[in-house]
Amino acid sequence: MTGLWLAAALALLPPFALAVVASGRAALRFRLVAVQFATSLATLLLVALSFALDQPATIDLALILAVLTLPGTLLFALFQERWL
Amino acid sequence: MSLGVALCLALAVLSAWIAAAALWRLRTPLERLHAVTFVNVAGGGAVLLAAGLTDGLSPRVLKCAAIWLAILLIGALLGHVTGHALHIRDGERR
Repeated sequence: MTGLWLAAALALLPPFALAVVASGRAALRFRLVAVQFATSLATLLLVALSFALDQPATIDLALILAVLTLPGTLLFALFQERWL
Repeated sequence: MSLGVALCLALAVLSAWIAAAALWRLRTPLERLHAVTFVNVAGGGAVLLAAGLTDGLSPRVLKCAAIWLAILLIGALLGHVTGHALHIRDGERR
């Protein structure tokens, strides 16, 4: 069963890489959306890796990332709205 | 059981690829926000279903459910904030 999860985690890597590249190199107004997309994919990726590597504790990383998305993206949105 | 997990994971991966293609092809940032919501709902739900089929009712699956709930709620809020910021930045305040 862990092989399926590992394959899913590997298959999630190209969209994640696209989102990371877009969040760094796209036009400024697209970067905020790309960051959100990358964070969502990173959360799914961490969940998949937790099952693939059979490490139940690592799912806490995904939970923390999902919660910390809120202040991080709010701060980014504030900067983009006012100063960037 | 394994087939169900494979189908759910395939659905999650497919939703991520479709959302990535949408992020690549759609033109405005507000249109691209829909791709983020799509992967949050479809991908997160499929991963939660696959986790439930893999583990049954376990603490890890409950954390997966909490993650999905957090992603949905926080994603809705952040979508609104992002749309607001993009409107103000582009000078389209209503």
